[in-house]
Amino acid sequence: MDITLRLAWRNLWRQPRRTWLTIGAMVFSDVLLIFMISLQFGMYGLMIDNTLRIFSGHIQVQAPGYNDDQKMRQAVPDVRPLAAELRSDLGSETIAARGKAFGLASSKERSYGIGVYGVEPAFEPHVSNIPGLVDQGRYLGDIDAYEIVIGSVLARNLRVAVGDELTLLGSGLDGSFAAAVLEVVGTFDSGVQDIDRNIGEMPLGAFQEIFFMNGAGHQVVVMAPSLDEVPALQSRVEALVAGRDGLVVRDWDALEPGLKQAIEADMSSAFFMYGILVILVAFSVLNTQLMSVLERTHEFGVVMALGMKPARLGGLVMLETALMGLIGLVLGALIGAAVTLWLGTQGYSVPGMEEMAAQFNLPARIYPETTWLSTLLGPTVVFVFTLLAAVYPALRLRRLHPVEAMRSA
Amino acid sequence: MKRRILLPLVLLALAGAAGAEEPDARQLVKNAIDHWRGLSSYTVMTMVIHRPDWERSMTMEAWTKGDDRALVRVIEPKKDRGNGTLTDDDSMWTYSPKVNRVIKVPSSMMGQSWMGSDFSNKDIARADDIIDQYDHTLVDTSVIDEIETYTIQSVPHEEAAVVWGKEVLTIRADYVVLEHAFYDQDGQVVKTLTSLDIGDMGGRTIATRQRMQKADEPGEWTEIAVLEVEYDLELRDSLFTLSNLRNPRD
Repeated sequence: MDITLRLAWRNLWRQPRRTWLTIGAMVFSDVLLIFMISLQFGMYGLMIDNTLRIFSGHIQVQAPGYNDDQKMRQAVPDVRPLAAELRSDLGSETIAARGKAFGLASSKERSYGIGVYGVEPAFEPHVSNIPGLVDQGRYLGDIDAYEIVIGSVLARNLRVAVGDELTLLGSGLDGSFAAAVLEVVGTFDSGVQDIDRNIGEMPLGAFQEIFFMNGAGHQVVVMAPSLDEVPALQSRVEALVAGRDGLVVRDWDALEPGLKQAIEADMSSAFFMYGILVILVAFSVLNTQLMSVLERTHEFGVVMALGMKPARLGGLVMLETALMGLIGLVLGALIGAAVTLWLGTQGYSVPGMEEMAAQFNLPARIYPETTWLSTLLGPTVVFVFTLLAAVYPALRLRRLHPVEAMRSA
Repeated sequence: MKRRILLPLVLLALAGAAGAEEPDARQLVKNAIDHWRGLSSYTVMTMVIHRPDWERSMTMEAWTKGDDRALVRVIEPKKDRGNGTLTDDDSMWTYSPKVNRVIKVPSSMMGQSWMGSDFSNKDIARADDIIDQYDHTLVDTSVIDEIETYTIQSVPHEEAAVVWGKEVLTIRADYVVLEHAFYDQDGQVVKTLTSLDIGDMGGRTIATRQRMQKADEPGEWTEIAVLEVEYDLELRDSLFTLSNLRNPRD
């Protein structure tokens, strides 16, 4: 074994420049893969987290059909006691009840149709980012107060400021006229145009009174500690609400169907590119190894005439490739990890990306996420393909006849 | 005033009934609208909003004057009493006694449901668009219940600001509209207003009960039944003002 290993190592450095060039291609693609993959993972994490943290949460308890139609009458009866019960049964504070209605919001000068959420001011901050994004005034306090926080764009459009009155007109649960005058106590700036322009939040108690909800609401939002714990938590919630008014439990994929699709689409197109990159590297390795095998045909013929088995020669070529690949893997992973770790603290942004990032609720500066998986995935795949590329040159040796081989060149 | 308008109406009606000549489609539509509304009118009506799992009924009174102005006010149920809508031309205001405020309905909300019914705000405010902004063709003539009945297809002008692809009206020779169907741009029926009962009220033969039915929701409809109607009465202009919407003076 030592002799083969030593032979392989020496063979590798008979052409140092060629070897380094091939290793260079591997390292380059390794670094690129590590950077791209950790950037992508970082982005997906942010996309999911930011989108779900604005409103939908990880899990929602709703009336059947509400997810598709969002009709006022598809309500969850006694929504506040239900949320309180889930909080105590699951031992979690990240659960909050909500109601949702559409209405006409008017200031003295202007009117706009908006979506109004009735929320529990004490628990909403645990399930949503909005309370933390209040930039003027304050968030809601008393659950029965006639007050509202609205998006900053809506406030600008309505020309209202904190302290002004807003009239809300809509239809109640029984179809009757719902109307109220609310005090604007705060505005929030989420950076997402659609939300800042069309949404208001008010205390759930007042919401239920104004819209004649009779204690009902439309959703109980549940936040899991992390995305991985959602399925387990979902089945626990399902067990707790089973048989109650036919209530259904939806996970984030059902609540935000576009999100997973966007990620999957992005992922498959990205992995297609990675595939091309890896195959190109594999071909360059194939080229190198084929060349080094061909130029040693005479030499191989000699050692075979001396009694070396073709299989062992093939093993030698594979070992040479493996050594080269290993150097590439280690260097690539080290440099790649260093680059992403550095960018993980500095952040990464492409000029002009802000617009696109805002669409997916992303900040303009992205911090790649360096994990063992994102660091080792790309280099390992490159390594495996490098070995595969060496199979053909190695197999060629089996068809080598010592006499013919010694005659060539 | 009254006579001057009525005489041509009668003549036209006679001409239509006799079948002496092909009636003008546009004129038929205009006459039908005028017939329903009169120069001015006062109506008490009940509106029933039906959904698969619930139903709601409201009684309202309505005043109209000329082509543009209308005021509707809720009488029953008590909870909603005093809620009202004023339309003038294409503009619409709504008033709620609960907040004691008059609010102009923004144009972006005109396609939304009016008072929770299957009528849109536009249906209420813009009945006249069909005369000015559509081309009308007579597509069929038949006799229903011994009365000559015309089917008219009305297609909006290119530049008309309407959401419909076309509207099809079935109008009797006495200007009672039997059916009014709204089609989308793809030629699919979206909703249909059908006259369920026809009777003599306020000195005219009118549709006394009409149902608006959305095509894709068979269990959802809104019915308006006329309880009382008076035509061509004296109505003060001050009736159709924002201050009257807020503080009824009668």
